[in-house]
Amino acid sequence: MENILSVKGIKKSFGGVHALKGVDLTIRKGEIHCLAGENGCGKSTIIKVISGFYQPDEGSIEIDGKGYPVMTPSDAIRAGVQVIYQDFSIFPNLTVIENLAFNQVLANRKKLVNRKEFRRIAEEAVAKINFEVDLNALVETLPVADKQLIAISRALLENAKLIIMDEPTTALTKKEVARLFEIIADLKKRGITILFVSHKLDEVFEISDSITILRSGENVISCPASEMNEEKFAYYMTGRHFDTQQLGQKKKKGAFGETVLECEHLSAAGFEDVSFQLHQGEILGITGQLGSGRTELSLSLFGLNRPVSGRIKVEGNEVDIRDVTTAQSLGIALVPEDRLTEGLFLPQSIIRNITVTRLDGLAGKTGILNSKTVTEESEKWVKELGVATKNHELPVQTLSGGNQQKVVLARWLANRPKVLILNGPTVGVDIGAKYDIHTLLHQLAEEGMAVIVVSDDTAEVIATCDSAIIMQGGRMTGRLESQDLTEANLAKAAI
Amino acid sequence: MKNLMNKLIKQTEFWVFMIIIVLALLIQARSGAFFANNNIVDIMRSMICPALYAVCALLAFVSTGPDVSFPLIAALSSYLAIVITYGTGYDGPWFVVYLIGMFFGALMGALNGFIIVKYKFPSLIVTLGTSSLFSGILLGAFEAERMELPDTLQRFGSMNLLTVSNEKTGLGSALPMTFLILIVVYLIAYAVLNFTMVGRGVYAIGGDEISAERAGFDVKKIRFGIFVINGMIAAVAGLCYSVMSMKYLPTEFAGGEMVVIAAIVLGGARLTGGVGTLKGCLLGTLLLTMVTNSLILAGISVYWQKVFIGGIIIIGTAIPAIQYFLGGSRGKKVKGGEAA
Repeated sequence: MENILSVKGIKKSFGGVHALKGVDLTIRKGEIHCLAGENGCGKSTIIKVISGFYQPDEGSIEIDGKGYPVMTPSDAIRAGVQVIYQDFSIFPNLTVIENLAFNQVLANRKKLVNRKEFRRIAEEAVAKINFEVDLNALVETLPVADKQLIAISRALLENAKLIIMDEPTTALTKKEVARLFEIIADLKKRGITILFVSHKLDEVFEISDSITILRSGENVISCPASEMNEEKFAYYMTGRHFDTQQLGQKKKKGAFGETVLECEHLSAAGFEDVSFQLHQGEILGITGQLGSGRTELSLSLFGLNRPVSGRIKVEGNEVDIRDVTTAQSLGIALVPEDRLTEGLFLPQSIIRNITVTRLDGLAGKTGILNSKTVTEESEKWVKELGVATKNHELPVQTLSGGNQQKVVLARWLANRPKVLILNGPTVGVDIGAKYDIHTLLHQLAEEGMAVIVVSDDTAEVIATCDSAIIMQGGRMTGRLESQDLTEANLAKAAI
Repeated sequence: MKNLMNKLIKQTEFWVFMIIIVLALLIQARSGAFFANNNIVDIMRSMICPALYAVCALLAFVSTGPDVSFPLIAALSSYLAIVITYGTGYDGPWFVVYLIGMFFGALMGALNGFIIVKYKFPSLIVTLGTSSLFSGILLGAFEAERMELPDTLQRFGSMNLLTVSNEKTGLGSALPMTFLILIVVYLIAYAVLNFTMVGRGVYAIGGDEISAERAGFDVKKIRFGIFVINGMIAAVAGLCYSVMSMKYLPTEFAGGEMVVIAAIVLGGARLTGGVGTLKGCLLGTLLLTMVTNSLILAGISVYWQKVFIGGIIIIGTAIPAIQYFLGGSRGKKVKGGEAA
């Protein structure tokens, strides 16, 4: 089979930092090729080179058999390369029609708006993937999945031969991912090549024909997907061996300490009649689809969604968790779902982010902060959790996703909670950091902390939790203990 | 019909329109003078300058961010136009004076645009700075003072589109020719914003700058253009203001920006950019003009006007929140229906 794209020995550096150190990437016509690698491995840089936004310092680019010594973004588009960025390149304030039609109208150098033409282009675009949407709707009112479909159908308008999708499943629910994959499979049938950028194992195996993995700006391996397995994949991406076996080991019911938290027939907005016990040293999963009530339940335990009936007991005593302060004084901590917007002060330094919830404690009796104590405290956590940074005075936004998560964790761990609730702890985190976080959770449980992992990622729940409760439509539909906690049983319980 | 209602209540403009109706009826009920022909003409007359400024504010807000320099651009460019007219002894048609003003307005706008586009500084800071600069040049370097208008502008100012007199009270009012300028500016702006790709680009940039660049809009050119056009519209507004007062009043311009910005925000322009219409501009301006002009008819003192303006701005900016709330509760019902 011919190659649609062949780049060789691409080097690119920014201000002395080598982002790409001689990357090769060959994609055959009509295949689904996965480009994987941890954050900062050079994935986005190589995409920008292929789409003409960056000029490589060295190396050659060949698209569909034609060499491009210098390639501009419009060259790339003319050659049939289309990129679907993570932000989808849409205009939230405008209608679907305009979002779909702008590129083509501008490419034709039209100066005036012709409503009929706009509509025709838009209809043509959505027809390509049988996408049903109100063309007059404002894009900001649509769900994420629809925004992505807008981006895909728009890309198809430009006679795309190679569509590059940059982490397309990040913000999608399972159902939406399934639909996206159907569309990708359909595109493949029509002879369109897809370069799928992802670091999610299961997706990569499900969809791709071949895989290229980058690490720190270099090729690690390119091979057919069939020759890859989970262990190799993780190793090639991170350069580390992971002992996932040990993490998967589940403790039996009797192995835990005393009951720390107990819910009896608890009901609140979003869920009803939930009962469970949580013990010292236990990692409990709360899993279910979006809207199942899993998030609401976790918020109730942290004083953010007041129960209307039922009881919560902490260490045997009935408590009324009115607000966050009460929850904290009871030793309950919650790491929020969207760590970027809810949990961190991104432009602030790591040190401030770590110590912000403990300022009262660190200040001591005088109420005046001693910068040395604060620094020591922060340094301790940076070291203990292995936050990869040279300097904890740097803003949190300079860290990778996994390390940001560690900073959030450090902040909550600093209060020494008895119950640690994590909402989607590894959403958007790459594989190495994910492993680190899971290891850390096991360590904490080992030390006697009770941990609740709220997640819709069943693989994560199975890999890390000792037991799990399954929720659906606001009700608890089952509880699985130790060995029974398997993919098959989870699926059964969810029905 | 139901669809139309649904569509309407989603538009901020509709709510502003309702407030205007209610306020008009209230004033009419208390004074019986709101719908008098002279009052209506007075309001139209008072709207001319703020409504012109509102276009500047709208273009800037939708595409980039706040522009607060238009009152000072208006003051300095109309001053230069008038001085040059005197200096050359020009006495031809009035619009040549306007063209001179627009030329200087464009230059000042270009300075704003250059700094904002080239150095990516926030527009609020840049235009605050240039405002101060223009004010210094006007009052310090040129030592501008009150002056009479050149003959050509005097003649233009004394032409009226329409004069009315109220039979009951004997009060009269006239609608000046400058009202036509307002209509022309709005028509052009409407056509450009809705029917040209550059106009759509203004909204696209405001929606997402990077997406706009990727789609093929020339973001820098459009942005720079907007500030140049703003300068020109400001110059037109400044000359209209002078023509209507029959005098050049250098100190009367500064401070006009806040009410104008309030008016366009009332009219639905979003502070974060990308959203706002000319219809909203006009309605917002009309509402605030009514408050400043007509509340006094209802026996409300001038000092209380400010309270009213403040209240209306707060309620007006709350409209999107109210709409969100209404939309949100509808959405929830649908979801509940599905689950059951």
